[in-house]
Formats: sequence, C-alpha cells, structure tokens
Amino acid sequence: MNNLDTAQAVVDPDTAPPARRFPVDRSFLGRAGVVAVVLVVAVVVALLRSGSGLVVWQSVVTGILTGGLYGLIAMGLTLIFGVLDIVNFAHGALLAVAMFISFGLVDTTGMHPYLTLLIATPALFLVGAIVYRGLLSGSGARSLENQLLITLGLSLLLENGLLMFFGAEPKSIKLPGEFQFSLFGAVVAGSRLYAFLGAIALGGVLFWLLRRTRLGTAIRAVAANGTGAQLVGINVRRIHMVTFAIGTACAGAAAALAGPLVTVSPTLGEQFNITAFVVVVLGGMGNVVGALVGGLLIGLVEQLTTIYLGGQSSLLGVFVVFVLVLFLRPQGLFGRKTA
Amino acid sequence: MSARKLIVALGACALLAIVAGCGGSAPMGAADAAGQRDKGPVKIGALHPVSGSNAVDGLQMRRGAQLAVDAINAAGGIKSLGGRKVELVTGDTQGKADIGQSEAQRLISAGAVGLVGTYQSAVSTNVAVVAERNRVPFVMDVTATDTIFARGYRYVFRVQPGSKVIATAAAQYLKQVSEQSGKPVHKVAFLHEQSDFGSGAADAFDAAAQQLGIALGPNISYDAASVSDLTAQITQVKASGADVLAIAGYYRDSLLAAKAIASVKPDLSAVWGVSNGAYDQPKFVSDAGQLGDRYFNTNYHYDATNPQTTALREQYQRTFGDPMRTGAVLSYDAVQVIAQAVEKAGSTDPEKVRDAIAAGQVAPLTVGKGPIEFAGNGDNSNAAPVLMQVQGGQVKQVYPPEKAESRPEYQVTWRP
Repeated sequence: MNNLDTAQAVVDPDTAPPARRFPVDRSFLGRAGVVAVVLVVAVVVALLRSGSGLVVWQSVVTGILTGGLYGLIAMGLTLIFGVLDIVNFAHGALLAVAMFISFGLVDTTGMHPYLTLLIATPALFLVGAIVYRGLLSGSGARSLENQLLITLGLSLLLENGLLMFFGAEPKSIKLPGEFQFSLFGAVVAGSRLYAFLGAIALGGVLFWLLRRTRLGTAIRAVAANGTGAQLVGINVRRIHMVTFAIGTACAGAAAALAGPLVTVSPTLGEQFNITAFVVVVLGGMGNVVGALVGGLLIGLVEQLTTIYLGGQSSLLGVFVVFVLVLFLRPQGLFGRKTA
Repeated sequence: MSARKLIVALGACALLAIVAGCGGSAPMGAADAAGQRDKGPVKIGALHPVSGSNAVDGLQMRRGAQLAVDAINAAGGIKSLGGRKVELVTGDTQGKADIGQSEAQRLISAGAVGLVGTYQSAVSTNVAVVAERNRVPFVMDVTATDTIFARGYRYVFRVQPGSKVIATAAAQYLKQVSEQSGKPVHKVAFLHEQSDFGSGAADAFDAAAQQLGIALGPNISYDAASVSDLTAQITQVKASGADVLAIAGYYRDSLLAAKAIASVKPDLSAVWGVSNGAYDQPKFVSDAGQLGDRYFNTNYHYDATNPQTTALREQYQRTFGDPMRTGAVLSYDAVQVIAQAVEKAGSTDPEKVRDAIAAGQVAPLTVGKGPIEFAGNGDNSNAAPVLMQVQGGQVKQVYPPEKAESRPEYQVTWRP
C-alpha cells in the first residue's frame, strides 16, 4: 500500500522487474495508453452527444482546470495516507480552517489573496504537527476505527468551531485584478489558471522533496518499512509528525490558491472531501503525482458526465469511475500491487 | 477486530446516539399542556434552526417572531382574554428534521397554542406531523415545498408563496416585462440545482412558460453540494441561443453561476432568478459586485412599499445591528396570524385557534395580493412573489407595478 513513488519506492521482491538504469515500467505505459484511449472515446462521445465542439472543448478545459484543484487538495491527503496509513477525514475541515485564515488576512489587512499562501501554509504545517502530536500519535490511532472516530470528530470540532467564530454566512475572497482569456474559444479565468499552475508547482515541490532531499528519503524509508527505517537510525515518530504536517500544509496551500474560486464557509470541506478521496484511490493511495493526475481525470469525468447526462449529479460519473477502479485496479492507476 | 475494540467502537456509537438524542425531552401529558395554556401568558412556539449552518437565518427569524410578540404586548396583549400577555417559547431545530419534531412536541407540551417555523422544508414536513397529531395549529413562515399540502392536513398553514406559485409568476413576469421593454423573450434556458427545490421550480416554470408560448431549452441541472465550476454549463447555454437564462439555486452555486456568466458572456437579454437564494440578497451585491448588476429574481420579499414594513426593519436594524431579512418578516407575519386568531377566538384552545386562523384575515408586512387568508388546504391564497432587480448596487422591487420601487431594466451589463 505504501507506494509513495511510482518509479521505485516499494518493490515487492517477488514481482519486481530487474533493476534498470531508467526503470520504464511497461505496464505503466500500457495503463496510461488505456486511460488516454478511454478519454479520447469519452470526448468523441461527448461531441456526438452535445453536437457542439465549443461546449465539449469548454468542458475539457474546465475539467482540467478544476481537476488541478482536486489534485492539489488530494496531494496532502495521499501523502498522509501513504506514509502514516491514516485516512484523514479531517482534511476538508483543515482546508476550511486554512481558507478562513486566508479570508481573515485578506479581509482585515487587505493582503493579496495569494500572499496569504506564505502564512496559511506554515500555519497549517503547525496545526498539522499539533494535531498529530495531540490526537494521532498515541497508540489509540493505530486501529482504523479509532482513526476514523478521531479524524471525523476533529472535523466536526473544527467545522463547528468555525461556525461559532465566523458564523454560517458565506464569505468571498476577492482577487484584485482578476482577468480571463479565451483559449481557442474556451473561457479560462485567471484565478483558475493560477490554482492549476499552483497545483502543478506544488506537485513538483513535493516530488522534489520526496526524491531529492534527506527528509524525503527518510519519509520514503519510513513509508516503505518502518522497522527498517528505525534500525538505520531514523526517528520514525518525528518523520510521521513531519509528514502529517506537510500533508496538512498542502491543504493550507490549496486553500490560499483556491480561495478566490470558492465561497468560503465552515462546511466547505464536505464539498471537496469525497472528491479528494476518490482522487486518492484513483491515483494510487500514497502516490503524490498520481493524486495530481487522478485529480485531472476526475475533473474531466465530472465535466463530461454533465454533457452525457444533461447535468444530473456529476458525482454519478465520478463514482462510476471510482467503482470501476476499485473493481479492476484497487491499487489505483499508478499504484503497485501490494503483497 | 478484537473483542475489546469491538466494545470500544460500539460504546462510541452508543455515546454518539445519546448525545444526538439529547435535543428533545420527553413529552408531558396532554392534560398538562391544557393546564399550561390556561394560566400565565399565551404561548406561541417558534421553531427555527438557531445553530448549524443555517443559524444566521434561523436567528433572524426567531428575532422577527420576538418583535411581533413585543409589538402585541406593547399594544396591550390579547384584549379578548383580558389583556393576557403573549410569550414566545422557542426551540432550536438545528436544521434537522428529527430534532425539529422533538422540539415541536416539547413546545406543545409546554402549552404553545400554535407553532411558527421552520425555514427548511424537510423540518416543516416533520413538524407538520406533530402539529396534526396534537391538533395544534402550525403556521409555516418559510417552507417552499408544496408537497406538505398533498396530505390533507387540517392544522397546517403557510404564509410564504409556495415554490409553484413563485415559478409560475416568474414565467408570467418574464413575458410581461420583456414585452414592455420591446425585447419579447423567445427562448429560455433553465439552470437549476438538482434537488426538490431547484427541479421543482424548473418544472413549474416550464409548465407556465409553455402555456405562454415561450420556447424552452436547454434544461441543465447540477449538484449544489459538490459543484465547483459552472463555466461549461453556461457555455452550453450560450451555444443554445437562448436569450434568457433562468436560475434556481442556493447562494453559493448561484454566485458561481454569476461568475461563470461574467466569464462566458452569453448572448442574453436577462438573467432571471426563480426563487433564487442569492440574487435578491444584499450580500450577493457585495460579493458579486459588478458581475451581479441587473440580475432579476422572483421571490417572496418583505414589502418595501409598505411604511409599516420599513418601520419594522428600521427597528430591527437598531435593535440587532443587522438588516432584517425577508425570512424574519415572514416570521413576524406568522406570529401575527396566530395572535390575531387567539384574539378573535377569545380562547387558548388550539382547536378554536385553528378555526379562527382558517377563517381570518391578517394584513401582511410581506408582499401579497391582499391580506393573508388561507385556502381550504391551508396555503395562503394571497401569497404573491415580487420581481426584484439589482440596480446600481441595490436590490429594488421592480414588478408588478403596484409594488415597484423602480422600473425594470431589461438588459444585461455586458451587451448593448
């Protein structure tokens, strides 16, 4: 389950391919090909169904842009899952907390919404560390049902705390100088593009952090084999805490980037929680790049479903994909089979 | 799973169940309730979601009901009962149907001669059952769904115009306003959230529009809880060549729609809210800014042309430091309905109060075609929605003419 990294993090000795200098996973390319073919067919069918190229093109563009946002939110979730085996139901609520931090800063100091990234991200890092130390590091959190109760309880606590302090009135974060442009006829809003680019950048940073730094190596080691990591002198508890904090900080960054796109309310987390979980499963649990790609795919599925079904719940299509993935490839598109 | 873990999990579930159940208390006997009604002040029960995600509106409505009670007491109480004072007994539904039900039972047991509430259709549906079983009148202030009236209840009444009345009026107003401005509507696209509220509004609007000879399509729905972008949907509207876009949604999603419209700029003559949760809110004006200018909405509304309403709203603003919303004015009206019925019946017997409500007439502070009076099924037969428009950063009543503060401007900001 701990497939933190597509290429080589966890290698099951029985099924592992012989080591190569540049490990190109054939089956991975095959899967990517299948996904691409399915997508092309989906777009063609959408074209036939709607009869308007512009409508489909706009859906594709919107799907990709929204998908970036989903990927951004799912990245932190998948990191936490990959390393700590914790299904963090409070991720959405933590996102809401970060969004209120961002909103509070913009509202009181008139700060530029994207600058709040510099405060919301470290703040959430800290919150993540505290939550881990205070609630999750105890032995009680090892069992799945306790995790569920703890994180669900935390999300209720956070949501209702926000309700108490800020009220239920929905709030907006205004982006000064919001612009939009036409991409071959499809409308792209500046704020969405920024969120999308931010998602890719954040994905890159996380990838770099995991692959190129000592901390990242330690995190991957802990994810692969906790006991082994401990034997070579890695402080596993500390790595767990840092990983949880990084995952939560991702929610903070996502909140600052997504703030201008959404209406801020204490129950905002619910809106993204389900989608983020589907993205995590689709991308392969624990796989950061998989989460980003999974996000893009889910964004597309959502938009294309709207065309097929005349706009019944777009979550319907998302869940069809979810069930198919669980059925055909439970380890996710980019995950490896676990023993 | 080990036996110990199983026990812990079950224990946690039991604890949650107990906490959840704490909202209601055991009902007292009916004899107690009757005893409670005969002495002390006349009690009117108010059931609103004062905590939870609708707490802002719930609190507004409870305060609106309280202001009505204060006004009655200041004018000398219930005169036919020798000037007995009125008291508002309150319950918090938390926006949950089951809690609404147990709170209703509690208020009735505490001696309420009638109930007002509840803001949410699902909660009202449950409270109606309790009211009917206890034979105590229940006057709904805000409750959009019409299905409650299909049950043939005797004790259930409603002040606000129902979802079908609003949608039908929206279609008629559209036809009339567009013709008066020399740009008769030719095709309407409908965008709505997919639950009972939005699709009910769309169906009723379509039926009315068809009778008026207005072309329709496309009809696009979305999931209000999860939607995060409506650009593709608005592009679909643009491609369809519709000249009016009707929208029935809640606040957050309707604001998203406004953002998408500003991006896509479809060739519309008007954006036409149908009982829309955003387009007549002062908050929408500040959140959307320029984007929202000239948006229309057909909805229930406090009567801005009535000086009494203006005075009440000023009093509310002074007392609570917050502008009074329409929901609160409807609660004010609902309390008046019960209080005046008690006055007329000269009794606190709920059965007599119910008959007096069914036969009575009450002048409303919300927009209506006339006094509040109830049809056989309990619905207010003079309930009428009004057409509003965002004009220069303010929500103005624009149609029908007798309730208009300003003339409708049938055009959008991004087209000449």
